[in-house]
Amino acid sequence: MDAISPAVILVFAAAFYMAWNIGANDLANSMGDVVGARVLNLRQVILVAGCMTFLGAALFGSRVTTTIAEGIIPFSQIDQHLATGGALASLLAAGIWITIATYFRLPVSTSHSIVGAVLGFGLVAAKAGIIKFGDIAWIILLRIMFSWILSPIAGMFLAFLVFTLIRRVLIERVRDVRRLEKIFGFLLICSSCYIAFSLGTNDVANAAGSLSAALGKTGVQIPLWILVFSGFGIVLGISTWGYRVVETIGKRITELTPTRGFSADISAATVVLVCSTFGLPVSTTHTLVGAIVGVGLARGLEAVNLAIIRRIVYAWLITVPVSTALAIIIYLGFWG
Amino acid sequence: MRSIGGIFGESPFKPLYEHAKKACETAYALEDVVKAYCDKDTSGLSNLSDRIASLEHAADKIKQDVRRRLPYSVLLPVKRSDILEFLKPQDSISDSAEDLAKLMTLTDPYDLPVDIKEGLMEIMAKTTQILDAYMRLVKKLSELSRTAFRRKGVKEALDLVSPVEELEHQIDVISIGLSRKVFKLEDKLGALGVYHLSRIVELLSNISDYAARAADRLRTMLFR
Repeated sequence: MDAISPAVILVFAAAFYMAWNIGANDLANSMGDVVGARVLNLRQVILVAGCMTFLGAALFGSRVTTTIAEGIIPFSQIDQHLATGGALASLLAAGIWITIATYFRLPVSTSHSIVGAVLGFGLVAAKAGIIKFGDIAWIILLRIMFSWILSPIAGMFLAFLVFTLIRRVLIERVRDVRRLEKIFGFLLICSSCYIAFSLGTNDVANAAGSLSAALGKTGVQIPLWILVFSGFGIVLGISTWGYRVVETIGKRITELTPTRGFSADISAATVVLVCSTFGLPVSTTHTLVGAIVGVGLARGLEAVNLAIIRRIVYAWLITVPVSTALAIIIYLGFWG
Repeated sequence: MRSIGGIFGESPFKPLYEHAKKACETAYALEDVVKAYCDKDTSGLSNLSDRIASLEHAADKIKQDVRRRLPYSVLLPVKRSDILEFLKPQDSISDSAEDLAKLMTLTDPYDLPVDIKEGLMEIMAKTTQILDAYMRLVKKLSELSRTAFRRKGVKEALDLVSPVEELEHQIDVISIGLSRKVFKLEDKLGALGVYHLSRIVELLSNISDYAARAADRLRTMLFR
Protein backbone atom coordinates (compact mmCIF):
# COMPACT_ATOMS: atom_id res chain seq x y z
CA MET A 1 0.00 0.00 0.00
CA ASP A 2 1.28 3.38 -0.97
CA ALA A 3 0.51 5.35 2.15
CA ILE A 4 1.33 8.81 0.84
CA SER A 5 -0.27 8.58 -2.59
CA PRO A 6 -2.68 11.45 -3.31
CA ALA A 7 -5.52 8.95 -3.72
CA VAL A 8 -5.03 7.68 -0.18
CA ILE A 9 -4.94 11.19 1.23
CA LEU A 10 -8.13 11.97 -0.69
CA VAL A 11 -9.75 8.81 0.65
CA PHE A 12 -9.03 9.90 4.20
CA ALA A 13 -10.42 13.36 3.50
CA ALA A 14 -13.56 12.01 1.83
CA ALA A 15 -14.17 9.45 4.59
CA PHE A 16 -13.71 12.13 7.19
CA TYR A 17 -16.16 14.37 5.36
CA MET A 18 -18.74 11.55 5.29
CA ALA A 19 -18.31 10.98 9.02
CA TRP A 20 -18.49 14.70 9.69
CA ASN A 21 -21.70 14.95 7.70
CA ILE A 22 -23.29 12.08 9.64
CA GLY A 23 -22.45 13.82 12.90
CA ALA A 24 -23.63 17.21 11.69
CA ASN A 25 -26.99 15.94 10.43
CA ASP A 26 -28.06 12.44 11.39
CA LEU A 27 -26.68 12.39 14.92
CA ALA A 28 -27.99 15.91 15.47
CA ASN A 29 -31.44 14.80 14.30
CA SER A 30 -31.51 12.00 16.85
CA MET A 31 -30.72 14.42 19.67
CA GLY A 32 -33.41 17.02 19.01
CA ASP A 33 -35.93 15.67 21.51
CA VAL A 34 -33.63 15.75 24.51
CA VAL A 35 -32.90 19.44 23.86
CA GLY A 36 -36.55 20.15 23.02
CA ALA A 37 -37.62 18.66 26.35
CA ARG A 38 -34.98 20.86 28.06
CA VAL A 39 -33.62 17.87 29.92
CA LEU A 40 -30.07 18.58 28.83
CA ASN A 41 -28.57 21.74 27.46
CA LEU A 42 -26.90 21.94 24.09
CA ARG A 43 -23.38 21.46 25.38
CA GLN A 44 -24.33 18.43 27.47
CA VAL A 45 -26.15 16.89 24.51
CA ILE A 46 -23.15 17.24 22.25
CA LEU A 47 -20.87 15.76 24.89
CA VAL A 48 -23.19 12.81 25.59
CA ALA A 49 -24.04 12.17 21.93
CA GLY A 50 -20.39 12.43 20.92
CA CYS A 51 -19.20 9.97 23.57
CA MET A 52 -21.95 7.41 22.94
CA THR A 53 -21.63 7.51 19.17
CA PHE A 54 -17.90 7.14 19.46
CA LEU A 55 -18.31 4.13 21.75
CA GLY A 56 -20.85 2.53 19.41
CA ALA A 57 -18.60 3.08 16.44
CA ALA A 58 -15.42 1.82 18.06
CA LEU A 59 -16.93 -1.19 19.86
CA PHE A 60 -19.58 -2.47 17.46
CA GLY A 61 -19.02 -0.65 14.20
CA SER A 62 -17.17 -3.43 12.43
CA ARG A 63 -20.11 -5.53 11.23
CA VAL A 64 -21.72 -2.97 9.00
CA THR A 65 -18.29 -1.68 8.03
CA THR A 66 -17.41 -5.17 6.80
CA THR A 67 -20.58 -5.21 4.70
CA ILE A 68 -19.62 -2.00 2.93
CA ALA A 69 -15.94 -2.95 2.66
CA GLU A 70 -16.36 -6.50 1.43
CA GLY A 71 -19.98 -7.64 1.59
CA ILE A 72 -21.28 -5.93 -1.54
CA ILE A 73 -18.22 -5.89 -3.79
CA PRO A 74 -15.27 -8.22 -3.11
CA PHE A 75 -12.74 -5.40 -2.79
CA SER A 76 -10.08 -7.84 -1.55
CA GLN A 77 -10.12 -9.62 -4.93
CA ILE A 78 -9.38 -6.40 -6.75
CA ASP A 79 -5.93 -5.00 -7.41
CA GLN A 80 -5.17 -2.61 -4.53
CA HIS A 81 -4.72 0.48 -6.72
CA LEU A 82 -8.01 -0.14 -8.48
CA ALA A 83 -9.71 -0.88 -5.16
CA THR A 84 -8.43 2.38 -3.70
CA GLY A 85 -9.71 4.23 -6.74
CA GLY A 86 -13.07 2.51 -6.51
CA ALA A 87 -13.44 3.19 -2.81
CA LEU A 88 -12.46 6.80 -3.38
CA ALA A 89 -14.96 7.16 -6.22
CA SER A 90 -17.70 5.70 -4.00
CA LEU A 91 -16.90 8.02 -1.11
CA LEU A 92 -16.74 11.07 -3.36
CA ALA A 93 -20.00 10.14 -5.11
CA ALA A 94 -21.83 9.60 -1.83
CA GLY A 95 -20.31 12.74 -0.33
CA ILE A 96 -21.22 14.92 -3.30
CA TRP A 97 -24.78 13.61 -3.45
CA ILE A 98 -25.27 14.09 0.27
CA THR A 99 -23.97 17.64 0.02
CA ILE A 100 -26.37 18.44 -2.83
CA ALA A 101 -29.30 16.78 -1.06
CA THR A 102 -28.49 18.51 2.22
CA TYR A 103 -28.42 21.84 0.41
CA PHE A 104 -31.91 21.13 -0.92
CA ARG A 105 -33.03 19.82 2.47
CA LEU A 106 -33.89 16.42 1.05
CA PRO A 107 -34.15 13.80 3.79
CA VAL A 108 -31.64 11.43 2.17
CA SER A 109 -29.68 8.75 3.95
CA THR A 110 -25.90 8.49 4.03
CA SER A 111 -26.25 4.70 4.16
CA HIS A 112 -28.34 4.62 0.99
CA SER A 113 -25.85 6.90 -0.74
CA ILE A 114 -22.77 4.87 0.07
CA VAL A 115 -24.41 1.56 -0.83
CA GLY A 116 -25.53 3.02 -4.15
CA ALA A 117 -22.07 4.41 -4.78
CA VAL A 118 -20.32 1.13 -3.98
CA LEU A 119 -22.72 -0.60 -6.36
CA GLY A 120 -21.78 1.99 -9.00
CA PHE A 121 -18.13 1.10 -8.72
CA GLY A 122 -19.05 -2.59 -8.76
CA LEU A 123 -20.87 -2.13 -12.07
CA VAL A 124 -17.89 -0.32 -13.62
CA ALA A 125 -15.51 -2.96 -12.34
CA ALA A 126 -17.70 -5.72 -13.74
CA LYS A 127 -18.02 -3.94 -17.09
CA ALA A 128 -14.24 -3.60 -17.26
CA GLY A 129 -13.83 -7.25 -16.41
CA ILE A 130 -12.08 -6.56 -13.10
CA ILE A 131 -14.72 -8.63 -11.33
CA LYS A 132 -17.59 -10.74 -12.62
CA PHE A 133 -21.16 -9.48 -12.51
CA GLY A 134 -21.88 -12.49 -10.36
CA ASP A 135 -19.27 -11.29 -7.84
CA ILE A 136 -21.53 -8.41 -6.91
CA ALA A 137 -23.49 -9.73 -3.94
CA TRP A 138 -26.95 -9.17 -5.36
CA ILE A 139 -28.64 -11.13 -2.61
CA ILE A 140 -26.98 -9.00 0.06
CA LEU A 141 -27.90 -5.86 -1.87
CA LEU A 142 -31.49 -7.01 -2.04
CA ARG A 143 -31.45 -7.77 1.66
CA ILE A 144 -30.03 -4.31 2.40
CA MET A 145 -32.65 -2.57 0.30
CA PHE A 146 -35.35 -4.65 1.93
CA SER A 147 -34.05 -3.50 5.31
CA TRP A 148 -34.44 0.10 4.17
CA ILE A 149 -38.15 -0.47 3.74
CA LEU A 150 -38.49 -2.62 6.80
CA SER A 151 -36.54 -0.52 9.33
CA PRO A 152 -38.85 2.54 9.36
CA ILE A 153 -41.87 0.24 9.45
CA ALA A 154 -40.38 -1.76 12.30
CA GLY A 155 -39.56 1.51 14.09
CA MET A 156 -43.17 2.58 13.64
CA PHE A 157 -44.65 -0.63 15.02
CA LEU A 158 -42.25 -0.78 17.93
CA ALA A 159 -42.82 2.87 18.89
CA PHE A 160 -46.58 2.37 18.62
CA LEU A 161 -46.32 -0.57 21.00
CA VAL A 162 -43.97 1.15 23.43
CA PHE A 163 -46.02 4.32 23.65
CA THR A 164 -49.29 2.39 23.90
CA LEU A 165 -47.76 0.43 26.76
CA ILE A 166 -46.59 3.61 28.50
CA ARG A 167 -50.06 5.02 28.02
CA ARG A 168 -51.92 2.02 29.34
CA VAL A 169 -49.65 1.33 32.27
CA LEU A 170 -48.55 4.82 33.29
CA ILE A 171 -50.36 7.75 31.69
CA GLU A 172 -53.78 6.20 32.32
CA ARG A 173 -52.98 5.42 35.92
CA VAL A 174 -50.82 8.16 37.40
CA ARG A 175 -52.49 11.13 39.00
CA ASP A 176 -50.14 13.79 37.68
CA VAL A 177 -48.99 13.42 34.09
CA ARG A 178 -46.63 16.39 34.42
CA ARG A 179 -44.70 14.61 37.14
CA LEU A 180 -44.55 11.49 35.01
CA GLU A 181 -43.02 13.52 32.20
CA LYS A 182 -40.48 14.90 34.64
CA ILE A 183 -39.46 11.42 35.72
CA PHE A 184 -39.25 10.37 32.09
CA GLY A 185 -36.84 13.24 31.54
CA PHE A 186 -34.14 11.06 33.03
CA LEU A 187 -35.15 8.08 30.89
CA LEU A 188 -35.02 10.35 27.87
CA ILE A 189 -31.34 10.97 28.58
CA CYS A 190 -30.80 7.20 28.66
CA SER A 191 -32.75 6.65 25.42
CA SER A 192 -30.80 9.44 23.74
CA CYS A 193 -27.56 7.74 24.75
CA TYR A 194 -28.95 4.52 23.32
CA ILE A 195 -29.85 6.03 19.96
CA ALA A 196 -26.51 7.83 19.72
CA PHE A 197 -24.78 4.53 20.46
CA SER A 198 -26.86 2.66 17.86
CA LEU A 199 -26.17 5.33 15.29
CA GLY A 200 -22.47 4.88 15.96
CA THR A 201 -22.65 1.11 15.40
CA ASN A 202 -24.40 1.52 12.06
CA ASP A 203 -23.52 4.83 10.46
CA VAL A 204 -19.79 4.73 11.15
CA ALA A 205 -19.61 2.18 8.33
CA ASN A 206 -20.63 4.79 5.79
CA ALA A 207 -17.23 6.35 6.26
CA ALA A 208 -15.21 3.44 7.60
CA GLY A 209 -16.38 0.86 5.05
CA SER A 210 -14.93 2.49 1.97
CA LEU A 211 -11.91 3.66 3.93
CA SER A 212 -11.16 0.05 4.90
CA ALA A 213 -11.65 -1.07 1.31
CA ALA A 214 -9.33 1.65 0.05
CA LEU A 215 -6.61 0.58 2.45
CA GLY A 216 -7.08 -3.11 1.76
CA LYS A 217 -8.26 -3.82 5.30
CA THR A 218 -11.32 -5.77 4.36
CA GLY A 219 -10.94 -8.89 6.45
CA VAL A 220 -13.15 -9.97 9.31
CA GLN A 221 -11.22 -7.74 11.68
CA ILE A 222 -11.58 -4.12 10.69
CA PRO A 223 -8.66 -2.27 12.33
CA LEU A 224 -9.85 -0.37 15.38
CA TRP A 225 -8.12 2.82 14.34
CA ILE A 226 -10.27 3.06 11.21
CA LEU A 227 -13.42 2.94 13.34
CA VAL A 228 -11.88 5.37 15.80
CA PHE A 229 -10.93 7.75 12.99
CA SER A 230 -14.46 7.66 11.54
CA GLY A 231 -16.08 7.87 14.96
CA PHE A 232 -13.97 10.92 15.66
CA GLY A 233 -15.24 12.46 12.42
CA ILE A 234 -18.84 11.98 13.56
CA VAL A 235 -18.07 13.57 16.93
CA LEU A 236 -16.43 16.51 15.19
CA GLY A 237 -19.49 16.80 12.94
CA ILE A 238 -21.93 17.26 15.77
CA SER A 239 -19.65 19.60 17.69
CA THR A 240 -18.73 21.89 14.79
CA TRP A 241 -21.98 22.09 12.86
CA GLY A 242 -24.50 19.70 14.37
CA TYR A 243 -25.27 21.97 17.29
CA ARG A 244 -27.12 24.28 14.89
CA VAL A 245 -29.20 21.36 13.67
CA VAL A 246 -29.85 20.20 17.25
CA GLU A 247 -30.89 23.72 18.19
CA THR A 248 -33.22 24.13 15.20
CA ILE A 249 -34.83 20.75 15.74
CA GLY A 250 -35.00 21.21 19.50
CA LYS A 251 -37.19 24.25 18.90
CA ARG A 252 -39.56 22.41 16.59
CA ILE A 253 -39.61 19.19 18.52
CA THR A 254 -41.02 20.48 21.83
CA GLU A 255 -44.05 18.27 21.19
CA LEU A 256 -41.92 15.21 21.64
CA THR A 257 -42.24 15.29 25.43
CA PRO A 258 -40.11 12.82 27.44
CA THR A 259 -42.61 9.92 27.28
CA ARG A 260 -42.97 10.37 23.52
CA GLY A 261 -39.30 11.02 22.87
CA PHE A 262 -38.34 8.00 24.93
CA SER A 263 -40.75 5.76 22.98
CA ALA A 264 -39.44 6.98 19.63
CA ASP A 265 -35.78 6.81 20.67
CA ILE A 266 -35.66 3.33 22.11
CA SER A 267 -37.71 1.92 19.24
CA ALA A 268 -35.55 3.47 16.53
CA ALA A 269 -32.34 2.65 18.41
CA THR A 270 -33.34 -1.00 18.88
CA VAL A 271 -34.20 -1.44 15.21
CA VAL A 272 -30.91 0.16 14.14
CA LEU A 273 -28.92 -1.93 16.60
CA VAL A 274 -30.55 -5.14 15.39
CA CYS A 275 -29.72 -4.13 11.81
CA SER A 276 -26.15 -3.44 12.90
CA THR A 277 -25.77 -6.96 14.30
CA PHE A 278 -26.94 -8.31 10.95
CA GLY A 279 -24.45 -6.03 9.21
CA LEU A 280 -27.21 -4.11 7.47
CA PRO A 281 -26.52 -0.42 6.77
CA VAL A 282 -29.82 1.37 7.43
CA SER A 283 -30.87 4.96 7.89
CA THR A 284 -31.15 6.00 11.54
CA THR A 285 -33.03 9.14 10.53
CA HIS A 286 -35.64 7.28 8.48
CA THR A 287 -36.10 4.75 11.27
CA LEU A 288 -36.58 7.57 13.76
CA VAL A 289 -39.14 9.20 11.49
CA GLY A 290 -40.98 5.87 11.34
CA ALA A 291 -40.89 5.69 15.14
CA ILE A 292 -42.27 9.23 15.49
CA VAL A 293 -45.15 8.29 13.18
CA GLY A 294 -45.73 5.27 15.42
CA VAL A 295 -46.05 7.53 18.47
CA GLY A 296 -48.46 9.69 16.47
CA LEU A 297 -50.57 6.65 15.59
CA ALA A 298 -50.77 5.86 19.29
CA ARG A 299 -52.32 9.33 19.76
CA GLY A 300 -49.18 10.69 21.35
CA LEU A 301 -48.69 13.74 19.13
CA GLU A 302 -50.89 16.68 18.25
CA ALA A 303 -49.98 16.74 14.57
CA VAL A 304 -47.69 14.54 12.49
CA ASN A 305 -46.98 15.74 8.98
CA LEU A 306 -47.22 12.61 6.86
CA ALA A 307 -46.23 14.55 3.75
CA ILE A 308 -42.62 14.07 4.84
CA ILE A 309 -43.00 10.33 4.27
CA ARG A 310 -43.52 10.97 0.58
CA ARG A 311 -40.40 13.13 0.56
CA ILE A 312 -38.44 10.35 2.23
CA VAL A 313 -39.64 7.81 -0.31
CA TYR A 314 -38.68 10.14 -3.16
CA ALA A 315 -35.28 10.79 -1.59
CA TRP A 316 -34.83 7.04 -1.19
CA LEU A 317 -35.76 6.31 -4.82
CA ILE A 318 -33.55 9.06 -6.19
CA THR A 319 -30.52 8.41 -3.96
CA VAL A 320 -29.53 4.96 -5.19
CA PRO A 321 -29.55 5.71 -8.94
CA VAL A 322 -27.91 9.11 -8.48
CA SER A 323 -25.11 7.90 -6.20
CA THR A 324 -24.59 4.87 -8.44
CA ALA A 325 -24.34 7.08 -11.52
CA LEU A 326 -22.07 9.57 -9.76
CA ALA A 327 -19.70 6.80 -8.67
CA ILE A 328 -19.53 5.50 -12.26
CA ILE A 329 -18.87 8.97 -13.65
CA ILE A 330 -16.23 9.81 -11.06
CA TYR A 331 -14.45 6.48 -11.43
CA LEU A 332 -14.40 6.68 -15.23
CA GLY A 333 -13.40 10.36 -15.05
CA PHE A 334 -10.36 9.68 -12.92
CA TRP A 335 -9.25 6.21 -13.88
CA GLY A 336 -11.26 5.23 -16.94
CA MET B 1 -29.19 20.86 6.85
CA ARG B 2 -31.14 17.61 6.72
CA SER B 3 -33.67 17.95 9.48
CA ILE B 4 -36.53 15.75 10.59
CA GLY B 5 -38.26 18.82 12.02
CA GLY B 6 -40.68 18.65 9.09
CA ILE B 7 -42.29 15.53 10.54
CA PHE B 8 -43.94 17.69 13.17
CA GLY B 9 -46.98 19.40 11.75
CA GLU B 10 -48.37 22.55 13.27
CA SER B 11 -50.85 21.58 15.95
CA PRO B 12 -54.40 22.72 15.17
CA PHE B 13 -55.40 22.50 18.84
CA LYS B 14 -53.83 25.74 19.97
CA PRO B 15 -55.50 27.96 17.34
CA LEU B 16 -58.68 25.95 17.84
CA TYR B 17 -58.71 27.11 21.45
CA GLU B 18 -57.81 30.65 20.39
CA HIS B 19 -60.69 30.57 17.93
CA ALA B 20 -63.11 29.48 20.64
CA LYS B 21 -61.89 32.33 22.82
CA LYS B 22 -62.34 34.88 20.05
CA ALA B 23 -65.75 33.53 19.01
CA CYS B 24 -66.97 33.66 22.60
CA GLU B 25 -65.49 37.13 23.09
CA THR B 26 -67.60 38.26 20.13
CA ALA B 27 -70.71 36.77 21.71
CA TYR B 28 -69.91 38.10 25.20
CA ALA B 29 -69.80 41.59 23.70
CA LEU B 30 -73.50 41.20 22.83
CA GLU B 31 -74.40 41.92 26.43
CA ASP B 32 -73.62 45.61 25.94
CA VAL B 33 -75.35 45.56 22.57
CA VAL B 34 -78.58 44.18 24.00
CA LYS B 35 -78.37 46.72 26.82
CA ALA B 36 -77.83 49.58 24.38
CA TYR B 37 -80.77 48.34 22.30
CA CYS B 38 -83.08 48.24 25.28
CA ASP B 39 -81.89 51.73 26.30
CA LYS B 40 -82.37 52.98 22.70
CA ASP B 41 -78.74 54.14 22.67
CA THR B 42 -78.34 54.41 18.89
CA SER B 43 -74.80 55.80 18.78
CA GLY B 44 -73.55 53.31 21.38
CA LEU B 45 -75.20 50.58 19.36
CA SER B 46 -73.38 51.43 16.17
CA ASN B 47 -70.01 51.65 17.97
CA LEU B 48 -70.57 48.28 19.62
CA SER B 49 -71.68 46.77 16.35
CA ASP B 50 -68.41 47.87 14.72
CA ARG B 51 -66.46 46.36 17.58
CA ILE B 52 -68.28 43.05 17.18
CA ALA B 53 -67.64 43.07 13.45
CA SER B 54 -63.90 43.43 14.04
CA LEU B 55 -63.92 40.66 16.66
CA GLU B 56 -65.74 38.40 14.23
CA HIS B 57 -63.17 39.21 11.58
CA ALA B 58 -60.38 38.28 13.99
CA ALA B 59 -62.13 34.98 14.71
CA ASP B 60 -62.33 34.30 10.98
CA LYS B 61 -58.59 34.84 10.66
CA ILE B 62 -57.93 32.25 13.36
CA LYS B 63 -60.38 29.87 11.70
CA GLN B 64 -58.38 30.08 8.48
CA ASP B 65 -55.24 29.28 10.45
CA VAL B 66 -56.90 26.16 11.91
CA ARG B 67 -57.99 25.04 8.42
CA ARG B 68 -54.48 25.65 7.09
CA ARG B 69 -53.12 23.32 9.73
CA LEU B 70 -55.44 20.51 8.69
CA PRO B 71 -54.22 19.29 5.30
CA TYR B 72 -55.09 15.75 4.24
CA SER B 73 -51.58 14.59 5.06
CA VAL B 74 -51.75 15.40 8.76
CA LEU B 75 -51.95 12.61 11.34
CA LEU B 76 -53.93 13.70 14.41
CA PRO B 77 -54.99 12.03 17.67
CA VAL B 78 -58.61 12.66 16.63
CA LYS B 79 -60.36 12.49 13.29
CA ARG B 80 -59.55 15.43 11.06
CA SER B 81 -63.13 15.63 9.79
CA ASP B 82 -64.40 15.77 13.39
CA ILE B 83 -62.30 18.86 14.04
CA LEU B 84 -63.62 20.54 10.91
CA GLU B 85 -67.18 19.59 11.85
CA PHE B 86 -66.72 21.13 15.26
CA LEU B 87 -65.02 24.26 13.95
CA LYS B 88 -68.07 25.09 11.84
CA PRO B 89 -70.66 25.65 14.63
CA GLN B 90 -67.97 27.26 16.80
CA ASP B 91 -67.43 29.77 14.03
CA SER B 92 -71.19 30.30 13.73
CA ILE B 93 -71.20 31.59 17.32
CA SER B 94 -69.35 34.74 16.28
CA ASP B 95 -71.13 34.88 12.90
CA SER B 96 -74.58 35.00 14.48
CA ALA B 97 -73.37 37.46 17.13
CA GLU B 98 -72.32 39.76 14.34
CA ASP B 99 -75.63 39.23 12.49
CA LEU B 100 -77.54 40.12 15.62
CA ALA B 101 -75.54 43.31 16.24
CA LYS B 102 -76.07 44.32 12.60
CA LEU B 103 -79.79 43.56 12.82
CA MET B 104 -80.13 45.81 15.83
CA THR B 105 -78.66 48.75 13.95
CA LEU B 106 -80.96 48.33 10.92
CA THR B 107 -83.80 50.40 12.34
CA ASP B 108 -84.17 52.80 15.24
CA PRO B 109 -84.80 50.80 18.42
CA TYR B 110 -88.44 50.42 19.34
CA ASP B 111 -89.98 51.42 22.67
CA LEU B 112 -90.03 48.05 24.35
CA PRO B 113 -92.27 46.98 27.22
CA VAL B 114 -90.39 46.16 30.40
CA ASP B 115 -91.12 42.42 30.30
CA ILE B 116 -89.66 42.16 26.78
CA LYS B 117 -86.50 43.98 27.89
CA GLU B 118 -86.24 41.68 30.89
CA GLY B 119 -86.74 38.66 28.66
CA LEU B 120 -83.95 39.76 26.32
CA MET B 121 -81.61 40.43 29.23
CA GLU B 122 -82.46 37.07 30.73
CA ILE B 123 -81.59 35.22 27.53
CA MET B 124 -78.41 37.25 27.31
CA ALA B 125 -77.45 36.35 30.89
CA LYS B 126 -78.04 32.67 30.13
CA THR B 127 -76.07 33.01 26.91
CA THR B 128 -73.15 34.37 28.93
CA GLN B 129 -73.45 31.32 31.17
CA ILE B 130 -73.47 28.94 28.24
CA LEU B 131 -70.40 30.63 26.80
CA ASP B 132 -68.65 30.18 30.17
CA ALA B 133 -69.60 26.50 30.20
CA TYR B 134 -68.49 26.11 26.60
CA MET B 135 -65.12 27.73 27.28
CA ARG B 136 -64.54 25.36 30.21
CA LEU B 137 -65.12 22.45 27.84
CA VAL B 138 -62.82 23.80 25.15
CA LYS B 139 -60.08 24.53 27.66
CA LYS B 140 -60.31 20.96 28.86
CA LEU B 141 -59.99 19.75 25.29
CA SER B 142 -56.84 21.79 24.75
CA GLU B 143 -55.27 19.98 27.70
CA LEU B 144 -56.20 16.48 26.53
CA SER B 145 -53.45 16.04 23.98
CA ARG B 146 -50.78 16.41 26.64
CA THR B 147 -52.13 13.34 28.40
CA ALA B 148 -52.53 11.43 25.11
CA PHE B 149 -56.34 11.58 25.49
CA ARG B 150 -56.32 9.38 28.52
CA ARG B 151 -59.67 8.10 29.69
CA LYS B 152 -59.82 10.23 32.85
CA GLY B 153 -59.33 13.47 30.92
CA VAL B 154 -61.75 12.45 28.18
CA LYS B 155 -64.38 11.64 30.79
CA GLU B 156 -63.85 15.01 32.48
CA ALA B 157 -64.31 16.71 29.12
CA LEU B 158 -67.42 14.69 28.31
CA ASP B 159 -68.88 15.66 31.68
CA LEU B 160 -68.56 19.30 30.64
CA VAL B 161 -70.80 18.78 27.58
CA SER B 162 -74.11 18.29 29.36
CA PRO B 163 -74.10 21.63 31.24
CA VAL B 164 -73.88 23.34 27.84
CA GLU B 165 -76.81 21.32 26.54
CA GLU B 166 -78.81 21.95 29.71
CA LEU B 167 -78.37 25.72 29.38
CA GLU B 168 -79.28 25.55 25.71
CA HIS B 169 -82.54 23.89 26.66
CA GLN B 170 -83.27 26.58 29.25
CA ILE B 171 -82.64 29.31 26.70
CA ASP B 172 -84.97 27.58 24.26
CA VAL B 173 -87.77 27.59 26.79
CA ILE B 174 -87.24 31.26 27.67
CA SER B 175 -87.03 32.36 24.05
CA ILE B 176 -90.25 30.58 23.08
CA GLY B 177 -92.05 32.35 25.91
CA LEU B 178 -90.53 35.64 24.86
CA SER B 179 -91.49 35.12 21.21
CA ARG B 180 -95.08 34.54 22.27
CA LYS B 181 -95.06 37.86 24.07
CA VAL B 182 -93.49 39.57 21.06
CA PHE B 183 -96.24 38.35 18.73
CA LYS B 184 -98.86 39.91 21.00
CA LEU B 185 -97.29 43.33 20.46
CA GLU B 186 -98.58 43.87 16.94
CA ASP B 187 -100.86 46.73 18.00
CA LYS B 188 -98.03 48.50 19.76
CA LEU B 189 -95.08 47.91 17.40
CA GLY B 190 -96.74 47.15 14.08
CA ALA B 191 -96.07 44.09 11.94
CA LEU B 192 -92.61 45.29 10.99
CA GLY B 193 -91.70 45.88 14.62
CA VAL B 194 -92.85 42.40 15.58
CA TYR B 195 -90.89 40.93 12.72
CA HIS B 196 -87.75 42.80 13.72
CA LEU B 197 -88.04 41.89 17.36
CA SER B 198 -88.81 38.24 16.71
CA ARG B 199 -85.72 38.05 14.49
CA ILE B 200 -83.70 39.50 17.36
CA VAL B 201 -84.98 36.83 19.75
CA GLU B 202 -84.29 34.16 17.18
CA LEU B 203 -80.71 35.25 16.49
CA LEU B 204 -79.96 35.68 20.16
CA SER B 205 -81.09 32.17 20.97
CA ASN B 206 -79.16 30.88 17.93
CA ILE B 207 -75.89 31.57 19.74
CA SER B 208 -76.66 28.97 22.39
CA ASP B 209 -77.78 26.56 19.67
CA TYR B 210 -74.39 26.83 18.00
CA ALA B 211 -72.53 26.46 21.29
CA ALA B 212 -74.55 23.32 22.04
CA ARG B 213 -74.01 21.97 18.54
CA ALA B 214 -70.25 22.54 18.81
CA ALA B 215 -70.24 20.84 22.22
CA ASP B 216 -72.11 17.90 20.72
CA ARG B 217 -69.57 17.62 17.88
CA LEU B 218 -66.84 17.68 20.46
CA ARG B 219 -68.46 14.74 22.16
CA THR B 220 -68.53 12.84 18.85
CA MET B 221 -64.85 13.65 18.41
CA LEU B 222 -63.93 12.31 21.84
CA PHE B 223 -65.91 9.07 21.53
CA ARG B 224 -63.80 6.53 19.74
